[in-house]
Amino acid sequence: MIDFTIIGGGVIGTLIARELSKYNVSILLLEKENDIGNHATLANSAIVHSGHDPKPGSLKAQLCVRGNSLYESLSKELKIPLIFSGAFVMARDTDEVETLEMLYQRAIQNGVKQVALLDPEEARKQEPNMADGILKVLDLPTTKVTYPWEIAIAALQNAQENGAQYRLNAKVTKITPLEEGFEIEINEDERINTQYVINAAGVYADELGKFVEQEMPYKITPRRGEYYVLDKKVKGFVERVLYPVPSEKGKGVLVVPQVHGNILLGPTSEFQDEKENRDNHSDHLHWIKRDSEKLAKNIPFDLIIRTFSGLRATSTYSDFYIQPAKAYPQFIHVAGIDSPGLTAAPAIAEYVVNTLLNADETFTKKKDFNPFRTKKKPFHESTLEEKIALILDDRRYGNIVCKCERVTEAEVVEAIHSAVSSPTVKGIKKRVRAGSGLCQGGYCENTVVKLIARELKIPLTEVEYYEKNTAILWKETKVKR
Amino acid sequence: MERNEGETMKVDIVVIGGGASGLAAALSAKSDSNSVLVLEREAVLGGILNQCIHNGFGLHVFREELTGPEYASRFIEKFTEANIDYKLDTTVLSIEKPEDCFNIEAYNTEDGALTIEAKAVILSSGCYERTRGQIKLPGARVKGIMPAGSAQRYLNIDGYLVGKDVFILGSGDIGLIMARRMTLEGAKVHGVAEIMPYSNGLTRNIVQCLHDYDIPLYLSHTVTDIKGDNALESITIQEVDKDFKPIPGTEKMFDVDTLLLSVGLVPDTMVFETLDIELSEITKGAIVDHTYQSNIPGLFACGNALHVHDLVDWVTIESEKAGKSAKHYADDALKETRRLLTIEPLNGIRYTVPQFVDVNNFEAPITIMFRVTNKYDVGTFTVKQGDTIIQQKKARFIAPAEMESLMIKPDQLIDQTTPITIELEVKS
Repeated sequence: MIDFTIIGGGVIGTLIARELSKYNVSILLLEKENDIGNHATLANSAIVHSGHDPKPGSLKAQLCVRGNSLYESLSKELKIPLIFSGAFVMARDTDEVETLEMLYQRAIQNGVKQVALLDPEEARKQEPNMADGILKVLDLPTTKVTYPWEIAIAALQNAQENGAQYRLNAKVTKITPLEEGFEIEINEDERINTQYVINAAGVYADELGKFVEQEMPYKITPRRGEYYVLDKKVKGFVERVLYPVPSEKGKGVLVVPQVHGNILLGPTSEFQDEKENRDNHSDHLHWIKRDSEKLAKNIPFDLIIRTFSGLRATSTYSDFYIQPAKAYPQFIHVAGIDSPGLTAAPAIAEYVVNTLLNADETFTKKKDFNPFRTKKKPFHESTLEEKIALILDDRRYGNIVCKCERVTEAEVVEAIHSAVSSPTVKGIKKRVRAGSGLCQGGYCENTVVKLIARELKIPLTEVEYYEKNTAILWKETKVKR
Repeated sequence: MERNEGETMKVDIVVIGGGASGLAAALSAKSDSNSVLVLEREAVLGGILNQCIHNGFGLHVFREELTGPEYASRFIEKFTEANIDYKLDTTVLSIEKPEDCFNIEAYNTEDGALTIEAKAVILSSGCYERTRGQIKLPGARVKGIMPAGSAQRYLNIDGYLVGKDVFILGSGDIGLIMARRMTLEGAKVHGVAEIMPYSNGLTRNIVQCLHDYDIPLYLSHTVTDIKGDNALESITIQEVDKDFKPIPGTEKMFDVDTLLLSVGLVPDTMVFETLDIELSEITKGAIVDHTYQSNIPGLFACGNALHVHDLVDWVTIESEKAGKSAKHYADDALKETRRLLTIEPLNGIRYTVPQFVDVNNFEAPITIMFRVTNKYDVGTFTVKQGDTIIQQKKARFIAPAEMESLMIKPDQLIDQTTPITIELEVKS
């Protein structure tokens, strides 16, 4: 019998796994996809919000502010990129100025530090590309930007280094409460027993919840957000995250500088019924352009290199739904984690483990818990001397596979064999950024495919782009003797 | 070249990229008095020509029809005979110019980190393909959508087909060539959609790659939806109006597993990033004078890294000139101070390369290459300085896909200050 089964390998599930790995308990994380951090974790704005937006007293407000304060140490322990960008919320008319003043008060009430209201002239000195016609600006210096899927990868790797286990391609198809604990059915053909279940299944949380709830306390209503990515040439266009004054639809379209120099424009906000549809729509993409121009002028739209979209696991409950199941205290829902979910994630893990599970009283702490993830410094961030040393140690550092992001063969090979690996073209991209640049893999995909085949000793036709049935090559054309 | 790890190499001229452009540039840059080093990121010289196994290369330079690899091999042979230094599998990651010389940082597995000091640099690194993101293609983000050149490489270099039911968006030459190539390998090519009312490829490719194989070309059409669960299952194309807006009711759906994109090429100027180089908003390559020198003294650009060409022959001719200029620069035979006279594209002309004449170094006839903005049967190109016509040229079958050129001699200029203009006149 496993102590804890965590369903879902996004930032929430993986950070809970890491938090639990501080204790002498057995942990198994189940992920239905062939990689972790595949959905909301992969497609979001990457912002660590200050906490100016959620309603005071809500769990969102509490965990957002707490989560923000945890990020600095989290980034050091897990070696995750984090930029201390700060943010501006910008009001365009008198109604918005009124709302902005309310948000200022709310930020203070939520415990956000260093907030201030600025006149546009003062703000423009710091963000010269800010749009014209802004009347008032809310300055949020504690806002930061991170690299979301690396958090999931790093947290799971660190949890694993501390004894946790995980499985990919393991879809939970049934949960049956037992006299003691639960039986979990995986992929309709395998059963395991567990004492506790942590339901961190994102947009599928309500479907899993139904196995233990007579009446579901929430329903997930996926809300799609679409984005543009600008090439890293744009670095320095803005330093801060630029927000409009929020509306009933959420925080609105933002301009977000990213940790590697790119800028994100988005997201849109559209409710939908389907839990898998992450298409892009021409109309919606057009809205991004229209709305982002209200925040910044002269946005270099010709530097757009990619579009993407993701689903927020918005629920019908008005707050994060982080509670035990009504009749089963050992089944914990961690559901409805939409914005500020990424920010709150480390605080959510802490809240689930410390507050709901009261772990300090219930379990014993590991004496040898190591909070630091093992991670090498990327080649491109190294000095010339360090690069020379790396190459002397392993000649494959001299082979630049991805020119745009400066990724070497040694790093791709290491990612293929890494502890939390997903040896697909996109799995490698998520880990070392090969293919994230201007040419979008036009040059390096070919090499990455060959390296995966070589390292896994599989035919080229078995190398997949990402999910199942996504082999890049159909068949060999050369006649074989 | 014996050297220790981390030691700086000194070379007169570094050529970045050993394809058609780099080979021609290196050959003409080499002289007894200077050293030339070619850095090539692939394992072989020849660049993109290696995967262009179709014929049609060399009609202008050799007066015969060669395949891409044949065309490349003619230059590789000359290059080897000339004993020019080169390094394969070597990627340049940065160029800086703190003072008079360039500092180049390049990597390979043999030398490790190469730091090279050079008097002059020729950028001949080719171009990259525009991607799905850059054209903001809507629909599902699934596997099976790929630039046509990437598919060409998988097929012609590696020997693998990427799919069996194919649709092609964009009628650029690579897309047209791939329509025929994939058909010959047993794939079914369902059609080619082009958002413009005319093709962006060479006429001979429309005839030989589409018409000869009964592959439909949908002009004024674009892809408006993509469906599939992880992998591509179908695409929808729609006719577009004059403003490129899809017209409701014109949807056609195709069940395909592959969508190849042939939607444009962009000069690869990424290694320039650390230099303060002026780039053209239209060509996306460097802005150069007629010696192919950029605003950075000693930095020359040519081939597809400068502007995208439709024929390799023009790449060769242009790169030979750039190489010669770099040689003059390294030998201090190029006058240092430039006096630039603008060449301004007017009515009907999209851009020119070069963008300037350097009158201080204008001693022999120069070729101005340019593209038009629209398709016409007949027209006249007029070169002027102010109101004075200095040259006129009649042309037939004018199209944006086909590069045009004009020659100007030093004695044709009326003065050294009035900007040169080029315009196209057509009879309506």
